[in-house]
Amino acid sequence: MNTILSLLRPRILSAINSLRTDNKRNSWMRIFMYGAIGIVFWTGTFIIFYRVLFYFQSVQDFGSILAMKLMSMLIMTFFMLLLFSNIINCLSHLYLSQDLPLLYSMPVSSKDIFISRWLISTFDSSWMIVAFSLPVFLSYGLIYKAGIIFYVMFLVAIIFMCLIAAALSGILVLFGAIILPAGRIRTILIILGVIMVLILILVLRLTRPEQLVNPDSFASVVLYLNSMQTPNSPLLPTTWITDAIKAALNGEVKSCLLNIALAGTCAFMLIFISSITAQAAYFMGFSKSQTTPQRLFAPIKYKGFSWESLLNFLPRESKAFAVKEIRTFFRDSAQWPQLFLMAALIAIYLYNFSVLPLDNTPIKAIYLQNLFSFLNIGLAAFVLTAIAARFVFPAVSMEGEAFWIVQAAPVSTKNFLWIKFFLYDLPLIILEEVLVVVSNFLLQVSPFMMVLSTITIFCFVPAIVGMAIGLGAVYADFKSENPAQVVTSFGGFLFMVLCFCLIAFVIILEAGPVYYIFMANLRGQNISLLQIIWSTVSFCFAFFLCLLAIFYPMYLGEKKLRIR
Amino acid sequence: MIELHELTKDYGTTIAVNKLSLNVAAGEIYGFIGPNGAGKTTTIRLMGGILAPTSGNIIIGGLDMAKKPVEGKKMIGFVPDRSFLYEKLTGMEFLRFSADLYDVKRDTFSQKAQNLLQQFALWDWADELIEAYSHGMKQRLIIASALLHDPRILIIDEPMVGLDPAAVHMVKDILKELAANQTTIFISTHTLSIAEDLCHRIGLIHKGTLLAQGTLDELKHIAKLGEAKLEEVFLTIIKENTFI
Repeated sequence: MNTILSLLRPRILSAINSLRTDNKRNSWMRIFMYGAIGIVFWTGTFIIFYRVLFYFQSVQDFGSILAMKLMSMLIMTFFMLLLFSNIINCLSHLYLSQDLPLLYSMPVSSKDIFISRWLISTFDSSWMIVAFSLPVFLSYGLIYKAGIIFYVMFLVAIIFMCLIAAALSGILVLFGAIILPAGRIRTILIILGVIMVLILILVLRLTRPEQLVNPDSFASVVLYLNSMQTPNSPLLPTTWITDAIKAALNGEVKSCLLNIALAGTCAFMLIFISSITAQAAYFMGFSKSQTTPQRLFAPIKYKGFSWESLLNFLPRESKAFAVKEIRTFFRDSAQWPQLFLMAALIAIYLYNFSVLPLDNTPIKAIYLQNLFSFLNIGLAAFVLTAIAARFVFPAVSMEGEAFWIVQAAPVSTKNFLWIKFFLYDLPLIILEEVLVVVSNFLLQVSPFMMVLSTITIFCFVPAIVGMAIGLGAVYADFKSENPAQVVTSFGGFLFMVLCFCLIAFVIILEAGPVYYIFMANLRGQNISLLQIIWSTVSFCFAFFLCLLAIFYPMYLGEKKLRIR
Repeated sequence: MIELHELTKDYGTTIAVNKLSLNVAAGEIYGFIGPNGAGKTTTIRLMGGILAPTSGNIIIGGLDMAKKPVEGKKMIGFVPDRSFLYEKLTGMEFLRFSADLYDVKRDTFSQKAQNLLQQFALWDWADELIEAYSHGMKQRLIIASALLHDPRILIIDEPMVGLDPAAVHMVKDILKELAANQTTIFISTHTLSIAEDLCHRIGLIHKGTLLAQGTLDELKHIAKLGEAKLEEVFLTIIKENTFI
């Protein structure tokens, strides 16, 4: 036990010491900012759930069923999130951390190393889900006027759920590391990515949310109610957790304790199995992960053709950076699942537009089509922000410790950043334009909305890419173990907030003129001079905002990298 | 070829380099020695354009690095102390990347890259990803890439770290040959025997300040030692701490 505590100490001390760094003011400011945002989200979640449950309560009989169905769906979602997050964290903490060789060189058993790492991974994966499940279940407690026993039992149940997910993930990762070929631990991530895509598609197909607004799809209310009340499998841990919380909510102490006992014994049994497995298999898997990785796919070469020649139009140094960037990006298997995931989300995004039941709504279809098209600009920009946060913002940090090569090379920092900018700007413009044009076709929007959408997105892409590259350079972390995670830093957070502000400002600026122009077209009227002036000023100001978003962060990024 | 004027780097909490001034002529091998944390790597990083100085000037081949960094860097071959590279590129791809940045002629690149990879015993590994290379192989690749564009100035931080004896011998020979062909070489090292063997002049830095510089004989004279090894000279000067 002492050894495990000693192994945990560096992590705890690092967390404490990070508050005692030179830049004390800065770290406290970050804590304050994150704290404030957390409280806002926490309060928001509470208000939303309280109102939803309050509404459910007002619906006689059916309301309670809905509330319970919502709870079981939430617990299932939390469990899936915990499982996925634990697998990713376990992989990283158990096999990829840079301090593992040092720990293995010390006189400690691999079981102790496993347990200490597993505890850290469990904490990292679970704290946020636990924190954000609190307002949800607090609102349940308040609506159902539950006693203190509910809150205690809920906490115990949620902790057991975290432990079950963490222990299951630990066992899965331990086996994965033995089965997979040496040095290919990261390959697990690819498999996970594909599994995630399949689950997402499956969930999408099974839920068919579009049916909810189609009254013809329900044969009878009884059938619908029956499907809502179908019990989950009694063999699933999520069923025990849900039943325990439900029982605590209804004051059924015996049933609650039984389910808590089931979840608790399952958690401790899984932890025991994982520690036994770790004793036997952890070192073997770790040792395999340390050997030189083989290339997963052999390079395909065609006689007389090289894909690099497609970039011959670029200046020499730009081409060198482009080729390097493309190669390092696609050869890094950690990027692949993210790409799969992104592709799946885009497919779902477009699928949603194709199944919108526009004809079955009481509002005139033409209004809705064009309203959705306008909102789609914002949505597409949010998708772009998500992609940029994951792939573009870390682009400078991805140079990692090898950044000295760029610094020592006869290339100015400005050129380096602009090369990065164009490397990401071009593919993202194509992607976003395809996204907007295809969704507009699916919505059958007016030519005016089509033109407006494509132009606005054409301005949004460089603005968001400029902010991602510029702020990514300002907040670059070349020493991060996983540079892709820099987006979770303060800089990444700031980038996302600024992107949301930019998108909101531009959409607000365009909303008024778009409404006037659209209505004038619809009614066959001319727009007034005042409206023309207003529209021109609004569009110009939106354009100016986009320009500012490109150049100012790029300037800041260049300045920051130059004076490092 | 290399002129440092009153070069200072202040990290806020420590002054890593304090008003450092020195000159290195063409064809000269200048050894930069000092204890851990003396400011050697900071000086090298300042010269390579990786760090910006707090004050002072760095003149490389007559060009002020603050005003014309890109032109200055074109003359430099830079080898850092830690071998961080793009792990997902192959050795040959990395050399091509380097050649493109340093504008090495396309028609001569392939032959040059092949010669260097063969010279550094990396030819069989040319198409393997760098992540599969050992520390010594990475170090050899960095040196090969630094020589690819025929630099007029070579700045090397700890050149022999991670190299096997055969590679150390080979690198020494290459450096001597380069100096004979008028390439200026600035080496920072802990290995005093290498400085003794290779360098025409040696500078001794401690706590960011240049304590002494000159040929080995001049240093012995400064340290008031007769027949002595560089190690004794080094220890004496560091102990006294007040020679310049």
